[in-house]
Amino acid sequence: MRKLTYTAFIAFWASALTLIFVHQLQPASADHSEEASSYTLEQVAGHGSEQDCWMAIDGKVYDLTEYLPLHPTPPVVLIPWCGKDATEGMRTKGYGRDHSPAAWAELEQYLVGTLAEE
Amino acid sequence: MMLANGKRLARALLWILLLLPLLLALLQVQHADVANTRAVLNWLGRLTGIAGLTCLLLAAALIVRVPGFDRLFGGLTHLWRTHHLLGAAALLLLLAHPLLLAYSAAGVSLAAAAQTLLPASGGLATWFGWAALLAMMIFLAPSFAFFGEPDYQRWKWVHSVSGVAVLLALAHTLLLARSLPAPWSWIVWGGLALLAVAAVTYRFVISHRLGRLSYRVSGMSHPANNVVELSLTAEERQLKYRAGQFVYLTPYDRSLPAGYGEEHPYTLSSSPLETGLRITIKDLGDASRAIQHISSGALVKIEGPYGDFFPDKIGSELWIAGGIGITPFLARARHFAASGVAADVKLIFCVQDEPRALFREELQELARSIEGFALTMHFFYREGPLTSDFLRSHCADLAERSAYVCGPSALNALAHHLLVGAGCRRDRIHTEEFVLL
Repeated sequence: MRKLTYTAFIAFWASALTLIFVHQLQPASADHSEEASSYTLEQVAGHGSEQDCWMAIDGKVYDLTEYLPLHPTPPVVLIPWCGKDATEGMRTKGYGRDHSPAAWAELEQYLVGTLAEE
Repeated sequence: MMLANGKRLARALLWILLLLPLLLALLQVQHADVANTRAVLNWLGRLTGIAGLTCLLLAAALIVRVPGFDRLFGGLTHLWRTHHLLGAAALLLLLAHPLLLAYSAAGVSLAAAAQTLLPASGGLATWFGWAALLAMMIFLAPSFAFFGEPDYQRWKWVHSVSGVAVLLALAHTLLLARSLPAPWSWIVWGGLALLAVAAVTYRFVISHRLGRLSYRVSGMSHPANNVVELSLTAEERQLKYRAGQFVYLTPYDRSLPAGYGEEHPYTLSSSPLETGLRITIKDLGDASRAIQHISSGALVKIEGPYGDFFPDKIGSELWIAGGIGITPFLARARHFAASGVAADVKLIFCVQDEPRALFREELQELARSIEGFALTMHFFYREGPLTSDFLRSHCADLAERSAYVCGPSALNALAHHLLVGAGCRRDRIHTEEFVLL
């Protein structure tokens, strides 16, 4: 039991630190925000269905059409947010709990542009 | 019979409590949880968190030390082993928990993985989780001797950090609503947390006030130069116990150089038919060394009795004792003599040499006076380690007997190995160990 727990203890720190250092050592990726297209809420509203679902979240615009079936909760939970500013949904999940850092990072894959200020 | 049923029930209940949260989590599994490697890692990350917290809370609940209750788990030493195993399982699972979640996030990006471990903003739940895990590493390091053998009192002190770890782990879990479906989250974690709190309260508050009996040191003898047998007389209420059980003794003698007000476990070497208690103590640490010269008339508090070494019924028994491990056997033999019953017992007493043969004369006298009780001495300096030939030549029918072994862990392991090899059934081999109790 001692050997097993000690091995796990060392393995834990080795793995966690490797992950953190590898991330730290990664060259910073170029910032694409300048070239990103800008959309108004009106334009986002034009993509308000399950077949074509855009959302504005935290000042950015995402095309989540392909993601809807992948979300842990059934698509009906997300569809009402299609074509709208969904920051609240992302921040609260409907019961006051923010999405995980992984979920936020995953969201970036679906980025199509920024939300134009009106 | 009732005890046997109680034991089965206690074991079943423990398994149910252990598996219930995991089953509830498994029942909610969706296709999306196992759709790809990333989802599976995330799902396993959540499951290890649930199972780890369950183990942690149950380990905490098992620290309860109610006299009699421990017998449902085969005695306090066995209850302690279960506690130890649950603690180890909790640590292993909870070490895997954040790593699995981070690996899962690595499927999105390395940044997401790093963010999962160390959230840049918000992430209060994650920081509670980290604090709980670090607290676990601190309080479990001495238990698994990560940095060498711990000192008994320091180990006990460090282990109290476990309370902080449990609270932080609960805060972490309740901030994350996804652990179990809504009503169950509160029922399961609330219920297990209540069990743990009740156990801690009983152990450290109630039992100290209500569970301790006052005794005075009324006599002492030295069966060897590093062993003392204390005779204790009750101030008021007498302790009720069975031969071979042990107690926690707390001395209140200001003249002691060490161990004042510290509780330590010691075996009762007296027969329950005697009016007072007798406790045999070998100097194995600072406190037990100091108590060798406790003042006559000194106050000691006794909490117990604990242990479930011997059955109530007398059967065909083989006893193997090593050194100070003779004490429970001495108690049972004294009890046979005091109650005038016949026995069917072969005692093999393993010691280094003659000066270390504790109570040898008294044991020889008991062997003469108790019908069916035979004593064999085994001297290490003369015969080397115990062998199966030695066992067989002094106990030809050992496969038909229930075996009881108490001594240093090396002897316990050797005796167990020899007994199994000689055809003794595993469920009839009983060992009593006192490791970090």
